[in-house]
Amino acid sequence: MKKTPLALLLTLGLLNIPLSAFAVTAPLDLVGPVSDYKIYVTEKLDELARHTQQFTDAVKKGDLATAQKLYAPTRVYYESIEPIAELFSDLDASIDSRVDDHEQGVKAEDFTGFHRIEYSLFAENSTKGLDALADRLNKDVQDLQTRVAGLTFPPEKVVGGAAALLEEVATTKISGEEDRYSHTDLYDFQGNIDGAKKIVDLFRPHIEQQDKAFVAKVDKNFATVDKILAKYRTADGGFETYDKVKDNDRKALVGPVNTLAEDLSMMRGKLGLN
Amino acid sequence: MNDSEPLNLQRRRVLMGMGAAGVALAGSALSCPAMAAAPAQVTEAPSSDKTEDRHDFRGVHQTGVVTPRPASGMLVAFDVLAANREDLERLFRTLNERIAFLMTGGPVAQIDPKLPPPDSGILGPVVTPDNLTITVSVGESLFDERFGLAGVKPKRLQRMVGFPNDALDADCCHGDLSLQFCANTADTNIHALRDIVKNLPDLLLVRWKQEGSVPPQAPVKPGVPAQSARNFLGFRDGSANPDSNDARAMDRIVWVQPGSDEPEWAVHGSYQAVRIIRNFVERWDRTPLQEQESILGRVKSSGAPIGGHSETEVPDYSNDPAGKRTKLDAHIRLANPRTAASQANLILRRPFNYSNGVNKNGQLDMGLLFICYQADLEKGFITVQTRLNGEPLEEYLKPVGGGYFFTLPGVTGDQDFIGRSLLAATHTETAA
Repeated sequence: MKKTPLALLLTLGLLNIPLSAFAVTAPLDLVGPVSDYKIYVTEKLDELARHTQQFTDAVKKGDLATAQKLYAPTRVYYESIEPIAELFSDLDASIDSRVDDHEQGVKAEDFTGFHRIEYSLFAENSTKGLDALADRLNKDVQDLQTRVAGLTFPPEKVVGGAAALLEEVATTKISGEEDRYSHTDLYDFQGNIDGAKKIVDLFRPHIEQQDKAFVAKVDKNFATVDKILAKYRTADGGFETYDKVKDNDRKALVGPVNTLAEDLSMMRGKLGLN
Repeated sequence: MNDSEPLNLQRRRVLMGMGAAGVALAGSALSCPAMAAAPAQVTEAPSSDKTEDRHDFRGVHQTGVVTPRPASGMLVAFDVLAANREDLERLFRTLNERIAFLMTGGPVAQIDPKLPPPDSGILGPVVTPDNLTITVSVGESLFDERFGLAGVKPKRLQRMVGFPNDALDADCCHGDLSLQFCANTADTNIHALRDIVKNLPDLLLVRWKQEGSVPPQAPVKPGVPAQSARNFLGFRDGSANPDSNDARAMDRIVWVQPGSDEPEWAVHGSYQAVRIIRNFVERWDRTPLQEQESILGRVKSSGAPIGGHSETEVPDYSNDPAGKRTKLDAHIRLANPRTAASQANLILRRPFNYSNGVNKNGQLDMGLLFICYQADLEKGFITVQTRLNGEPLEEYLKPVGGGYFFTLPGVTGDQDFIGRSLLAATHTETAA
């Protein structure tokens, strides 16, 4: 979770990007991939809203098994577009804050969203008392859809999102602390990685133009991560719980993840963005 | 002039020539030599004339072992993520390059400001060495099946096994590789660590880290022997350490020698034993002074052996066989009985005090980052610690982490790099 002043971001639009001496890609060149990215985010948000509705319906019906089953596959849409979702810090806090973001822990009144519901579903094995939280989550996700629809995507936030997603993985996924009650971290892990890869793919021609080796190295590390994650795929297309991930695989993920975080942190600069 | 105005402010006004009151005061104020310099501002950097102190990275032995211990130390253990020998060699070569730069200092590269800077900037645009040493050692686990090094493992290198009083926390034990950072300030060590972490994201994973410090003392008068620093038990620690300036003694005690039963590549290396030893300081502070002294075997104020006058006095136990003066189970007597046989068990200690925060029960989490070096791990640390098993001091100590490592031989010549002799020793083996 990251707090970014909303007002500042909303005032930043494509035309506000200053041309600098280091700019190798004219901002107008980026209009195509940035608008393609907005389409991608919008589609993911539509999926998120649809799945959140089903998930919260199950919660409200008291159908614990279904709610538990839908928890991870619903969240994954949020995780893949997190850099954009995080631009709205109030919604990010109410949708996706974790227990350690709150001094009062699970009892904190402002602890809402996915992880608060996760706590009841997986730590308490219960759907009791979740109605208000379920309604709030639905409302927040719909609010997010509306706000993103009206947002001019700042190119530096879009390109920087690839690195931000890898920071998410390095900070909270490797340790298995994101989904501490359900241990469904691998869904989020894959979501973050897919979201980052999407951004790299959209700007691929621009980066390849100046640094082919860079793109090749990034691709190789993405492939290594995907290969390790694939080992833990289940028959239904989901993932094993994080406690099943072997120590040597956790360790094998760290190298490529940290290297991707280092490399992707160069992307904005390589595209001449601030 | 306002009488309530702080004196320092008055002085500043004098020196800056401000105001009538300042001018009026000038004559008398400047006649006082203590007022010659303006007092520092709150956020002004503390001054040090040691930031350019540097050690030569190259040498038969690595630095940071017999090198005088500066005020700040940090031990970081890593998991090596290298997948094969090529990667392992890249790891050693990159380490070599970074350590050589960090210990020498110099300007950091200036790049396009749209890119993340290559240096954290903690030490500014020109890195000052600040007395930094970085000592590279390898753990027993590096010699597993991954790199084909099993055949050349140093004979005594082993995974640390808990002693009876230990409560080892798996999260701060062992490692494939250890780096010991020593410098005048903690910030210099942190700068070096961040540089290495940033430059080796695909090859190294930090496993655990412990920082520590040594309290500086006022310079001693000429002719007066230097005194050892105090640990968090309030006692001088290191009084019986062998003379690190005596090269022959260091060859005997610390460095693996040619012709020993160790592999040839390991010559001029050393065994590093690391222990994170928590001290129960509240309880210690509630213990009578005479009991503290009899448990340690030294006088707290001077550091002298019980009955002695100065720290440098060598305790003589031959005339105290029953332990009337120095108890038989006193820490210093068990650690070093001063017999002919126990000469084989000498070690070179290089400890730092650590303070980590507070435990759940409100007790201070602090103690000793114990580091020692020896040519023979078994005759050295393991034998000494085994003799200490069950000592009365254990009531106040709880070792919680650490590990055993082998400190690689030094880097000599321009073609050499840290770890080269280890890789070369197995080169033919894997090629075959």
